[in-house]
Amino acid sequence: MSDILSTISTMVIEGNFVDMVDKTNAALEESLGAEDILNNGLMPGMDHVGVEFKAGNMFVPEVLRSAKAMQAAMDILRPILAETGVETAGKIVLGTVKGDFHDIGKNLVGMMCEGAGFEIIDLGKDIAPEAFVNAIKEHKPKILGMSAMLTTTMRTMERIIKALEEAGVRDTLKIMIGGAPVTLDFANKIGADGYAANAASAADMAKQFAG
Amino acid sequence: MQVNKTNYLINNTPTLEVLSEEEIEAIYFASLTVLSETGVRVYNKEGYDLLSAHGAIIEGVEEDSALVKLPPEMVDIALSTLPRKVVIYGADPEKYKMELFKNQIYFGAGSDTPFTIDPYTSERRRATYKDVKNFARLAQALPNLDFHMSLGIVQDTAVGTYDRWQYLAMLEGTNKPINITAVDKDGLKDQLEMAYIRLGGEKEWLKTPIFSLYIEPVSPLSHSVEVIDKLLFCADHRIPFVYTPCPLAGATSPATLAGTAVQALTESLLGIVLSQLRRPGAPMIIGGLMSAMDMRTAVYSYGSPEMALLSAAYTQITKWLGIPEYETAGCSDAKMYDEQAAMEATMNITTAALIGGNMIHDVGYLEQGLTSSAEMMVAADEIIDMVKRILKGIPVNDDSKALNVIEEIGPGGHYLAHDHTFDRFKDLIWRPKLVNRQNYEGWEASGSKTHRQRVNERVIEILDREEEPLLDEKMFKELKHICDLADEKYKGDELDLDMFG
Repeated sequence: MSDILSTISTMVIEGNFVDMVDKTNAALEESLGAEDILNNGLMPGMDHVGVEFKAGNMFVPEVLRSAKAMQAAMDILRPILAETGVETAGKIVLGTVKGDFHDIGKNLVGMMCEGAGFEIIDLGKDIAPEAFVNAIKEHKPKILGMSAMLTTTMRTMERIIKALEEAGVRDTLKIMIGGAPVTLDFANKIGADGYAANAASAADMAKQFAG
Repeated sequence: MQVNKTNYLINNTPTLEVLSEEEIEAIYFASLTVLSETGVRVYNKEGYDLLSAHGAIIEGVEEDSALVKLPPEMVDIALSTLPRKVVIYGADPEKYKMELFKNQIYFGAGSDTPFTIDPYTSERRRATYKDVKNFARLAQALPNLDFHMSLGIVQDTAVGTYDRWQYLAMLEGTNKPINITAVDKDGLKDQLEMAYIRLGGEKEWLKTPIFSLYIEPVSPLSHSVEVIDKLLFCADHRIPFVYTPCPLAGATSPATLAGTAVQALTESLLGIVLSQLRRPGAPMIIGGLMSAMDMRTAVYSYGSPEMALLSAAYTQITKWLGIPEYETAGCSDAKMYDEQAAMEATMNITTAALIGGNMIHDVGYLEQGLTSSAEMMVAADEIIDMVKRILKGIPVNDDSKALNVIEEIGPGGHYLAHDHTFDRFKDLIWRPKLVNRQNYEGWEASGSKTHRQRVNERVIEILDREEEPLLDEKMFKELKHICDLADEKYKGDELDLDMFG
């Protein structure tokens, strides 16, 4: 691995988003390809962060800082990757369903998935089924993530899946759901593709789905 | 009589302080700054119009909400009409009431956990009507629980009407004061109707309100449409209500605990101003539910030392402001009633009791508030009992110094057979029910049971008791009729009831 790629990995691990822009540009000037920087600089850094987080040696704010560093580089690399036709992780549409204002978990999932290289379209909180359908049609994501914190609102997720079926877009994407009262059993019953118990496993699941 | 003593302070109870008066003031005035400069978002037009009509600055109006900034004098005016004492009665008002004001402590359950642990099978499963009724029966039986909440979301009835069923289940189980939750304003209306029936009419309610409503604005600084609807309805109908944000330090509020207290107070103050504008004198209680995010698992920790510390700080702030307070204790992040649960509950119950939080809720909570446990509740009853012994303190007077008894017994004697002991030991020496103090042989002879086994046996013993129903058949039918009507209304909107598995 070149020195600069190893530095980029370290910068991801340390969450050094400030110097990341310069370093990414420097790497491109050294004629390193965008794909090379992504796969051999950024991703090994994030993989290391993932391992350390699971082992309890890194904590949420540190992981988010690493994700931010990764994003700083991706903002530069993404257009180049698109131009050269390189497949990136893809888009995820996220939202907290209608009637629910509790969105801290969803925000966390968004940042973790960004760290895994995804492009996040965050619809926000209190999102109606039709707004989900419109966003899916507009952005054509690989994955939809929905959250609900209340037993009264969690069932709205089923309505949204039905609305996506009616709009004929259900089969174009994978759906993962989460939230305090949500379980795997519930996810299966409403026809979601997966349930993630926390943000880190949501990012892992997204990687699998995008695989 | 000749005076020959000075500077003699009497400590009737132990005291605890975590903030100085200057620090309390600093937090309060910082909240006023946030309220007037940062503002809060109100997702309710009726709510922000009312604030606007009385001097609030409205900015950033969006389709469904507005950013509201309150000048400090609006808070001063509101605090001048806010009751400093709130009384909530049980359905048996003669026997049970809570007088909430400075340094008065009352303990009670938490509310609305999706899951519960079945005390007969130890299985963690979705909560049902029967569970909620059983928890209420436990609350009725346990002497140190003064009020009750629904320790489980009823999930074997309709989804939009579970609140009415929970209230019915609780009324079946207890006639202590109840702190209800409501799905929305309609749910609140129905439950108020049920309370009128239980008491014998609206007039009786005005004299002895038998529930308060739990209302939770969303941190940071957001007040949803339902939250404001409920608040206004409470003010109109003289329903005491709890207005408690649940900020999570490091996630939905600053990582610094002082910053979290500032933000929580700001959120509560908005509720105070709005309620007093709607009806001066509207009774309310402000929370008291704050913790720090666990930065490894990203959960809302219910057993953290930060929660106990923040709750204590908030109690001091509300005492200084003269506002009844909602406190949090008797809860844990453990997955079952175990050593961790007992450890965390002991810590937060002790802190809450020593600081003097008024309405101390969440007894029986496990797993970050997702699961309720009858064992936790029964064990906590005894933890509270122990702590209440500490609260009785050490009276120091001529009788308690017992110089004449010491003189009489003298060196080498004993006090066991003395009248002084006989007359006092029952009051002064705390006796356990579940804690075991037998010697080894005695413990072995009584089955070598662990604390957990003894607690479980006590739960089952209470639940298996035959009891006279608290509601006669006619009243039960009348109350249930309201629940049935609500179900009827929501029928079209219903999803598969078997959904939760």
